[in-house]
Amino acid sequence: MTTITTEATEGPQAPGGWKPSALRRGRGSRRVPPLGVVASFAMLLLVVGWSLAPGLFTGQDPARGVPADAFQGPSVAHWFGTDHLGRDEFARVVHGSASSVTSALVAVAIGVLVGGLIGLVAGFIGSWVDVALSRVVDVLLAIPSFLLAVVVVSALGFETINAAIATGVSAVAVFARVMRSEVLRTRRAVFVEASLLLGGSRMHVLLRHVLPNASRSVLNLAVLQFGLSILVIAGLAFLGYGDPPPASDWGLLVSSGKDYPLAPWLVYTPALVTIATVLSANRISRWLRKTD
Amino acid sequence: MAPQDRLNDQRSGRTGGSTATLEIPVVKGPDDLLRVRDLSVSYGGHQVVTDVSFDLPRGHSLALIGESGSGKSTIARSVLRLLPAGVGRATGTIEVQGQDVLALPERHFRPLRGRTVGFVPQDPSASLNPVRTIGSQAREAAALLPGDLTKADRRRAVVDVLLRVGLDDPERVLASYPHQLSGGMLQRVLIGLAVLPQPALLVADEPTSALDVTIQKRILDLLTDLRDSLDISLLLITHDLAIAAERADSVVVLKDGRVQEAGPTAQVSGAPTSDYARRLHADVPALNPDRYAGLRDVGAARRALSEDEEPKIVVRGVSKTFTVDRKQLTAVDDLSFAVPAGTTHAIVGESGSGKTTTIRLLLGLETPDTGEIIVAGERVDGRSHAQLRAVRRHLQFVYQNPFTSLDPTWKVERLVREPLDRFKIGTKDEQREEVRRAVDAVGLDHTLLGRRPDALSGGQRQRVAIARALVLKPDVIVLDEPTSALDVSVQADIVQVLLTLQADLGLTYVFVSHDLALVRQLAHTVSVVRRGKVVEEGTVAQIFDAPREDYTRVLLDSIPDATHGRREVEPSEKAS
Amino acid sequence: MAQTRSSTTVRKPDARLTRGARRTSSPYLVYALQRVAQAVAVVLLAYCFTFLVISVLPGDPVTNTLRNPENNFTEEEIARIVAYYGLDQPVHVQLWESLSRFLTGDLGVSLRSNLPVSRLIGEIIGSTLVLAVSALVVAVVLAFGIAYGTRNLPAPLARPLRAFPSLFLSVPNFVIGLLLINIFAFQLGLFQVIDSEGPAATFFAAVALGIPVSAQIAEVLIANLDHEARQEYAGFATSRGLSRSRLFWRHLLKPSSLPVVTVVALTVGELLGGALITETIFGRTGVGSLVQRSVTTQDLPVLQAVVVLAAITFVVVNLVVDLVYPLLDPRVDLRGATKRVRPVTEGASA
Repeated sequence: MTTITTEATEGPQAPGGWKPSALRRGRGSRRVPPLGVVASFAMLLLVVGWSLAPGLFTGQDPARGVPADAFQGPSVAHWFGTDHLGRDEFARVVHGSASSVTSALVAVAIGVLVGGLIGLVAGFIGSWVDVALSRVVDVLLAIPSFLLAVVVVSALGFETINAAIATGVSAVAVFARVMRSEVLRTRRAVFVEASLLLGGSRMHVLLRHVLPNASRSVLNLAVLQFGLSILVIAGLAFLGYGDPPPASDWGLLVSSGKDYPLAPWLVYTPALVTIATVLSANRISRWLRKTD
Repeated sequence: MAPQDRLNDQRSGRTGGSTATLEIPVVKGPDDLLRVRDLSVSYGGHQVVTDVSFDLPRGHSLALIGESGSGKSTIARSVLRLLPAGVGRATGTIEVQGQDVLALPERHFRPLRGRTVGFVPQDPSASLNPVRTIGSQAREAAALLPGDLTKADRRRAVVDVLLRVGLDDPERVLASYPHQLSGGMLQRVLIGLAVLPQPALLVADEPTSALDVTIQKRILDLLTDLRDSLDISLLLITHDLAIAAERADSVVVLKDGRVQEAGPTAQVSGAPTSDYARRLHADVPALNPDRYAGLRDVGAARRALSEDEEPKIVVRGVSKTFTVDRKQLTAVDDLSFAVPAGTTHAIVGESGSGKTTTIRLLLGLETPDTGEIIVAGERVDGRSHAQLRAVRRHLQFVYQNPFTSLDPTWKVERLVREPLDRFKIGTKDEQREEVRRAVDAVGLDHTLLGRRPDALSGGQRQRVAIARALVLKPDVIVLDEPTSALDVSVQADIVQVLLTLQADLGLTYVFVSHDLALVRQLAHTVSVVRRGKVVEEGTVAQIFDAPREDYTRVLLDSIPDATHGRREVEPSEKAS
Repeated sequence: MAQTRSSTTVRKPDARLTRGARRTSSPYLVYALQRVAQAVAVVLLAYCFTFLVISVLPGDPVTNTLRNPENNFTEEEIARIVAYYGLDQPVHVQLWESLSRFLTGDLGVSLRSNLPVSRLIGEIIGSTLVLAVSALVVAVVLAFGIAYGTRNLPAPLARPLRAFPSLFLSVPNFVIGLLLINIFAFQLGLFQVIDSEGPAATFFAAVALGIPVSAQIAEVLIANLDHEARQEYAGFATSRGLSRSRLFWRHLLKPSSLPVVTVVALTVGELLGGALITETIFGRTGVGSLVQRSVTTQDLPVLQAVVVLAAITFVVVNLVVDLVYPLLDPRVDLRGATKRVRPVTEGASA
């Protein structure tokens, strides 16, 4: 998926370029995150908790159904209702989060490592290396990322981990671009020239000045990409390119739920969990970008 | 009535509380164009302007002066009602021609904008829409002209006003996009657009701070001239006491949003009574050319002693040409100078004079096409990064902008220690000791060692940068406008630090600047450069007291002359 | 990303010394030729990349498909197909031959239906194009609507509106599709799911596909508007008596929306990829459903062709935008990346 990286620009503004010096001092906002950010962290913590220890959050077995209880709406006994086999939907969502969250993390890791390395090398070495790597990134960018993920996953085989790898591959281009432009920006920074004048070697400058400064933007892109990867992986699972049932990836739950229009909660509950997770990641990424 | 006579029956602002120091009692006169009473402004609970009052009679000019954070721009924005929406809250009254601006609903205030209150913003390069031609934006301003005018009439008015502000080829200007004009021309366009609807009051927010000194003077002359000829009152916002003293009838000195002192210019700039105004007065280079004479004499004495020694820095016949778009551009042309050990040599010039290239050549960041550069007996030119390492131990550099020259992710201690680490000097403990010594030398508190640059003020950052340059105990420090990004009081502190260090350690400085008044305070010898060439060189006394070249005279002339009160524009000086 | 883009495409060393900014034909021509060459290289590389992903990764789906008894290939046919695809050759030879065929316009033959891939795609591409273009229109209209609202509605309405792009970006597009079908087809009966190509169904499919895309456009547009509104010129214009809405229309809109053109071009990939899911949900026959079928049946030539066509579409759209952009935006100076060049001397006014 294409991500858009722009400056977060909420907040007070005068008509005109002028900003009172009282408001110009940045940083302060990082100490006390806004309520929405706290809630977003809580949501992500909850989801991570679900995936690490699903047993703590639900006593029900996601695989065993009670046919007599089929198609029950959300209630105190079944928060998210039950499906056509009488399985508890909440238990399925909780147990499915492990694979959804892990695969998104795998995808982000691939993107950060491979894309970050490409961007770093291209930006720092420059010249023909940059030209060559930039064309490779252009290629990855030119192929619609979801289509690319589908092709990669169909070549690797229909499994959730392959879907994660495919998602990661399709995210490489975005990370490479951001890393490259950050490296280029930092490399031109005055303090980098200062370090060279103070006797620093190129390696020293790269590792101690350029990388730490460039990684800031990559970090918040990674958070954003975590959310987007959840969407892509859910999409692949929805089309049936992940682990087959009885696995309960969020996308797969929506996909199987859509066959029962009279039990809409089977679609809406896993969908809402997905939306809340992605929204939280977006919110945190936005906040990081703003406080940087 | 001549402006000077007017000055006497003018009631200027009152000071902060009730300590009014004016001779004239405050009476409401029909002449008052702008009356500000008890103005307080806050941003989201944070008060930045407190109980400010002043008056501006018709046809007069009043300067609000102060350093950053003094609230001077906030006051100007309040008059124009351009405060940040939502957070900015202004209380008190601002009366323009008897109407309280703050109490008016937006739709009743809008007709006053432009027609009654005009505005000249600070940065000319950002003040016009970059994707529309100047002509289309001028048409918009012409729409404000009163009466039933035809399209042709309005266009003629635009052309006339552009000619009036000294733009010789209005048609070309109108057809241009903003980025195709120079800063000085843009500022003229902005002034032209602002005075086009003939406002009664013109608010100019640092109208010249983004411009070169010689152009600065022309723009100020233009504003003064327009004020006189069009009978416009001028509210001038500036950080520069010297400019205020030269251009305004009365002055309001602000600090932290409160009025420190107010009154006729001659009084405030000649005999300031408040502590702050006195200190500000003492810190302005143009008003105190001999402030550091004692410290400077140490260097001068050293210079006399070392007459027959080899100079610390020798630059001989250096030229550098860049090729841009297959065109040759000579940035530095046959440049020569020598700096005796323990003295300060200033390179003075406007933008495009080749100052920056000279520094880069001196530091070995560029290689000259011809000529040689010798620092402390070693050749700089034509050597590789690795070979230069040895030279760099003796040759350090302080950048112009301390906001970009320090890595934001590093803490102060590590920043200052970096050169020691790079040259692998000393044990950990010795390094810590060296860092502490350098930090002490620039007068920084040790508690700041654990902070990152973001948590420091501009002056503190520049001290860190100087400490970093000092820690290797170099012989030579190249200073690229080290105070131009800082407030004048901070500048005075930094200059004090630099000169003390020079007197104590015998450092040799190359000081690059556009600010002649500052150069006069601290340098021993000067090269005036223009378009890559040395126009004139000599000792400070020679250059400042007996300039030989016209260009030097123009530069000297652009130093605001505060001693004579407000300057009257002579006909010959008016914009052509 | 718009920023990154302009910095990579309009790149020239040491712009500080560039004088003036008048555009002459020759720097533009150089730029245009460079861009075209880049585009061609990217398409060729995209072809090779897809080919390698499909053929190098484990498993030999072609032979598997051929040998599958259900497919009823005779030994003779198998030998012919194997020879046609050069499956007995090393990979680089296969790539070379495949690439040469591609350059002559031959996209190969479907393994499943034995029909030329170009014909298969030609039959259904119209439906996908209609969907993608309508979705783009929906996305742009929606994005400008949201952005307009954030600047011109009263604060209690404008503030929540700012959250919309973020929300839109967080909803899986299949959920949007299912929601639309549930509400507008099942509850309100505004369109029939069976008549999947009808105008009403197409409209809602376009909305489902367009909403996430609109979020991206709106986000950039809002950020640009905020940025432009903070520029000194907006304050200067306000000080000359311009009303809020005139300021928006006459000053802010153009500089904010010009860079959005490049963002819109970048969303082409999103539209084509998203069509995969949207077509499935709305039961449309298009490139998306073709890909789905080819994935299940491992019909590699079709997959390869679709991916390359998608890449070509993306590259061409972005090429056109990059070529037109410098002509639209006076700030772009092809001879140097700096937008505001201050000449060495003051010039005429001196």
